[in-house]
Amino acid sequence: MRAFAEWLSTTAPSVAIQSRFWFIRLLQATHLLTAGVVAVSGLMIALRVLGVQRTDQSFTAVWARFAPWLAVSSSVMILTGIAQTLGDPVREFTSFSYWLKLALVLCCAAGTLLLARPARRAPPAADFPFAAKLVAAALVVFWLCIVLLGRIIAYDRAIWGSLSMRT
Amino acid sequence: MLESIQGSALANWMRYTNGAMPIVEATHVLAAVLVFGTVLIVDLRLLGLVDSSRAFMRVSRETLRLTWLAFGVSVITGSLMFTTSPQTYFYNVAFQWKALALLGAGLNMALFQLLTSRGVATWNTQRPPHAARVAGLVSLVLWAAMVLLGRWIGFTKGYDFAVPPGVQLTFPG
Repeated sequence: MRAFAEWLSTTAPSVAIQSRFWFIRLLQATHLLTAGVVAVSGLMIALRVLGVQRTDQSFTAVWARFAPWLAVSSSVMILTGIAQTLGDPVREFTSFSYWLKLALVLCCAAGTLLLARPARRAPPAADFPFAAKLVAAALVVFWLCIVLLGRIIAYDRAIWGSLSMRT
Repeated sequence: MLESIQGSALANWMRYTNGAMPIVEATHVLAAVLVFGTVLIVDLRLLGLVDSSRAFMRVSRETLRLTWLAFGVSVITGSLMFTTSPQTYFYNVAFQWKALALLGAGLNMALFQLLTSRGVATWNTQRPPHAARVAGLVSLVLWAAMVLLGRWIGFTKGYDFAVPPGVQLTFPG
């Protein structure tokens, strides 16, 4: 993994990003702002299932309100995330937090879609089954962890010890 | 005063406890982005761009509960981070701008509560008046600026930086 990351850091796109410090700052700033939109949109959908937010609205209405924001901001986050990874592949690929964050992003995407399919067919006032609430509760925790892990990448070794591949 | 903060037991705990700074900093980032994300919902409603069919007071009441919770966490974690190096933060330009943006957002909110929201009953379920839309736009800009300036403090002060070749840094502890 380290060898691949080191090779990647010598490629033209990686060098181009590394040599433009302002671009890295712009990427990080955009990534951070969109993290707020992604996390809160994801949380609102999950919190509706848990009956904590927007209980006066049907799940379909909440989904229609937040799913487009979640999709667009996630796309921006993925693009800026890929660019940041390209800009410093060794730092990212040797970080345990990075891989855990990616795994949780996949879990959140799968969990949100899993939740949405049956929930959109349910009657507006219907209470959600226990399994759906369990998925929603996990999503709340995962969304929060994704943002936390994004910052912890910088301190990977100090937090994870030997789990981190950093030297 | 700054020196006494820096020498306090809390500051020493933050500086010398393994993992304290990364966990507090990550929690601060999480709280800040949640404040921004939840404020965005209310501000977009004020601007009349989303949730137009929902009563403004309802959107505001249920969303701002989360905002205040996240804001409380960000103030606590931000204060803890400040204790570690108060003199550096105090004189950091990005930090000063962030404090100014926070003050501006507070004033904007106070003005909105005291003046603009008085007539909320007349536009609660409609497109908000011009003054309310301006308040929403100002709030949106200031909270986004706070998140960006917070990141900028990291760039200018830097806990996370590459040591230039040939430079030897020593850290306490």
